[in-house]
Amino acid sequence: MTALRALIRKEFASLFGSPTAYLTLTMVAIVTALIFFDHLRVYNQILFVYASTTMGGFDTDTIPDYINLWDTVFFPVMETLGLTLIGAVPLVTMRVFSEERARGTDELLVSTHLTPSLIVIGKFIVTFAFVLLMMLVAFIYPATAISKGGIGLQHLGAVFFGLTLHGFAIATIGLTCSAFTSSQLLAAASGWALAFVLWDFSWANAFVSEGTAAFLEAVALHPRYGSFAEGIVSLDNVAYFFGIALIGMAVARFSFDLRRVGS
Amino acid sequence: MKSEPTDAGTSARDEPGGIAIVARGLTRRFGKHTALAALDLDIPANQTFGLMGANGAGKTTFIRLVTGFLLPDEGSIRVGGFSPTSNPRAVKQRLGFVMETSRLYPELRVRGFLRFMGGARGLEGAALAAAVDRAIDQFQLHQAAGRQIGNLSKGLQQRVSLAQAFLHDPPLVIVDEPTGGLDPVQRGYVQDELEALRGNRTVLLCTHDLDEARRLTSQVAVLEAGRLVASGTTDEVLHGDDPHALFRPREDAAS
Repeated sequence: MTALRALIRKEFASLFGSPTAYLTLTMVAIVTALIFFDHLRVYNQILFVYASTTMGGFDTDTIPDYINLWDTVFFPVMETLGLTLIGAVPLVTMRVFSEERARGTDELLVSTHLTPSLIVIGKFIVTFAFVLLMMLVAFIYPATAISKGGIGLQHLGAVFFGLTLHGFAIATIGLTCSAFTSSQLLAAASGWALAFVLWDFSWANAFVSEGTAAFLEAVALHPRYGSFAEGIVSLDNVAYFFGIALIGMAVARFSFDLRRVGS
Repeated sequence: MKSEPTDAGTSARDEPGGIAIVARGLTRRFGKHTALAALDLDIPANQTFGLMGANGAGKTTFIRLVTGFLLPDEGSIRVGGFSPTSNPRAVKQRLGFVMETSRLYPELRVRGFLRFMGGARGLEGAALAAAVDRAIDQFQLHQAAGRQIGNLSKGLQQRVSLAQAFLHDPPLVIVDEPTGGLDPVQRGYVQDELEALRGNRTVLLCTHDLDEARRLTSQVAVLEAGRLVASGTTDEVLHGDDPHALFRPREDAAS
């Protein structure tokens, strides 16, 4: 545990010792704010159109129920944020393993008490912690604003939980790609590609059998995340995201074995 | 892989005059290329042993097999009586590793890096703080302790690299090309430090530099294309009429 603690401290120092972490946090905060305010602007315009009377007055009774903050602003913002994370998270994960490989410091790490499993666990923990921070940066502002519109904390909690698990899944994909290459660019590109492919398979429904479509639906990120975004926390969705994390860690761990025996 | 004998329970330091590293029939291939071909090598304890050879001779592969970073295809290797494959923790406790200067963390500060490496080697609390202070004293890193490694000169970076290897006071230290790219002053400093270790612990020194090997080592082995082409005392091996001939390719070398 001493070695793992040391690795976690070092990973945090390395992460915040480079501008990538700050740039990514800033980018996520700006993109979230832009998306949020854009939806809020549209919401206000719709409100205005519905509530304006021909006499130039303002009558809120004419606004239909489906024009509300949740459906018009928060849900689409969270949907878009889920997609935004696919763009942002691989920027953080791309360096985690591949930088060690490129520098040759993985050899130094393995000469210490850190086993490959501990290295993988330590790097996943730190990356997940950073993703959590990213979620807070992205989530707090729209959540605070929307909670004023009457959405319960329980609902917000479910959305945040889902958003975080979704971020962890993308981080897992990015870390796994990073474990197999010394090129940060390749790690980021393969992370983006894999996450985008896994995001949604509904486009393929017209081309595959019903069984295959059901399977693709089961492995896709979007339907699972969408369920959380609607405020529903189901055990199978939680298990799905944890499953992705565990498989990713096992595959990243396998990359060390592959190098030990590989040619 | 062939099966290896059971681990013995003694370290190199426990066996003065014994053998620190034993390789038997050690073979490692990378695809069709044989990096080490049935290497038999004994590295005695408490001496500085030079491992020499041209680029691609198999020195780095041998080091990686000692540290457990690579697995052998055939044969066995024992470090202080332990196998890096079946008992890596015991080997790592006895091992310090000095890599080339480029293989550090440029974004970390020197003291932070040493604390990390000490922690990664199982030191904590007062023992870790004392080990870091001792290393900073020993390698004269006081001025650099608060600076980022990436901003240090290559010579200072090599001192940092040396310092981290001695934090846990290991009986065996592997030093890979310690003076490559250093100016004469820094080279002299690093060589002085390594010379001071003679007889205190086992040092496996990989170098291309004949003068460095003559100054620092008591025994050397020369590899060529993964095979042992010469071994013995440094005087015997490197003081011939044409020691450079040891590094020239031969026709019967392994492919």
